[in-house]
Amino acid sequence: MKKNKLEKNWFEWIVFAVGLMLVLATLSYLAYDAATITDAPPSIEVRMGEPLQRPHNFIVPITLINHGDQTADGVLVEVVLESGGEEKERGELTVAFLPRRSTREGWVAFQTDPRTVERTKARVLGYGKP
Amino acid sequence: MRPIAKSLQEYSRGIIGGLLFSLPLLYTMEVWWAGFSAHPLHLIFYVLATFALLLGYNFYAGLRHDANWTEVVIDSVEEMGPGLLISAIALALLGRIGLDMTLSEIVGKVTIEAMTVAIGVSVGTAQLGGANDGSDTGEGDGQPAKTRAAKGDSPNDVHFGGQLVIALCGAVLFAANVAPTEEIVVIGSESSSWNLLAIAIISIMLGAIILFSIDFKRAQSFAPAKGAMAVVIGSVITYAIALTVSAMILWFFGRFDGQALIICIGQTIVLGLAATLGASAGRLLLQAG
Repeated sequence: MKKNKLEKNWFEWIVFAVGLMLVLATLSYLAYDAATITDAPPSIEVRMGEPLQRPHNFIVPITLINHGDQTADGVLVEVVLESGGEEKERGELTVAFLPRRSTREGWVAFQTDPRTVERTKARVLGYGKP
Repeated sequence: MRPIAKSLQEYSRGIIGGLLFSLPLLYTMEVWWAGFSAHPLHLIFYVLATFALLLGYNFYAGLRHDANWTEVVIDSVEEMGPGLLISAIALALLGRIGLDMTLSEIVGKVTIEAMTVAIGVSVGTAQLGGANDGSDTGEGDGQPAKTRAAKGDSPNDVHFGGQLVIALCGAVLFAANVAPTEEIVVIGSESSSWNLLAIAIISIMLGAIILFSIDFKRAQSFAPAKGAMAVVIGSVITYAIALTVSAMILWFFGRFDGQALIICIGQTIVLGLAATLGASAGRLLLQAG
């Protein structure tokens, strides 16, 4: 035992110390995470940004925020442009994975200028469990 | 005291080994996904299981000939640390982790990838160039890995427990590369029972052939007695290890969730082929030669 201790040089002790810190930090974070996580299913908020005009279409930036504690798989978002209670155009967006407490961004494209319609509605249609 | 240059050389070998063995996993989507969808308790269990495996591997096949448990624990931590670091750097380079992600997603992905890297670091440190240590560097303390692996009663007869641990490591290293992929589920659920039976028989036969050839070449096997019986016992143990490892890895990656029993068994047998190769042939690579 004594012999083995002597074999280690200062550099190896530094690597050991850094390694120990990394391992302990990872384990403590995971333990903290495990203690605070709930079973809450995905709870997805859809936020729309200002529409932008592109050369061939109009795009609406979409931000998806999962407030739940489970990952949502294949999140399907629908955006509808309405004028006078009538649907003008409908767009869709799919996000492959939306991990818990995470944010993902994307765009929905339209031929109609979203700034000319009365209402733009966005909602999540559905998602799976990974 | 070991010279710094020698430590650096060992760490470099570790880093190369870590990358070499974990590269397929670093490039696998399903592993990244598992990083954020796995429950943190699962991840803790995964870290502890890997640590136990590292302890076993370092004890039986590790770098230090005269390893006692303190040294083995220190070595294992020294492999896990770089494992986490290499995994984080690799994932950042591949654009799989970024500052726009939540901490839980980053930690999950890094941790899940780091475990295979850590085993690779361990194997790399012990094996890559380890055999020429003495002549290579001229350092007196660098015992050839050959003698370290042979922690049994006689130089040619590796301890049964040691063989078991090395077989486990081999099975994990090989099976982990394919386990998280969607392909295992597809093959497992589309194969007929006859196919699965054939895969199982081929796996056992492959295990037997490999064990037999190792037996031939190096007079090492699971059973103390030599001959046909030893090969049979050896193959059964190898296949048992392979199936256990397969089932555990599949369970970890959530492949058993909501599946019918036959699909779970199918997946285990399909993955068992890779695990058998690792547990039998992998031993040749992991164990200093």
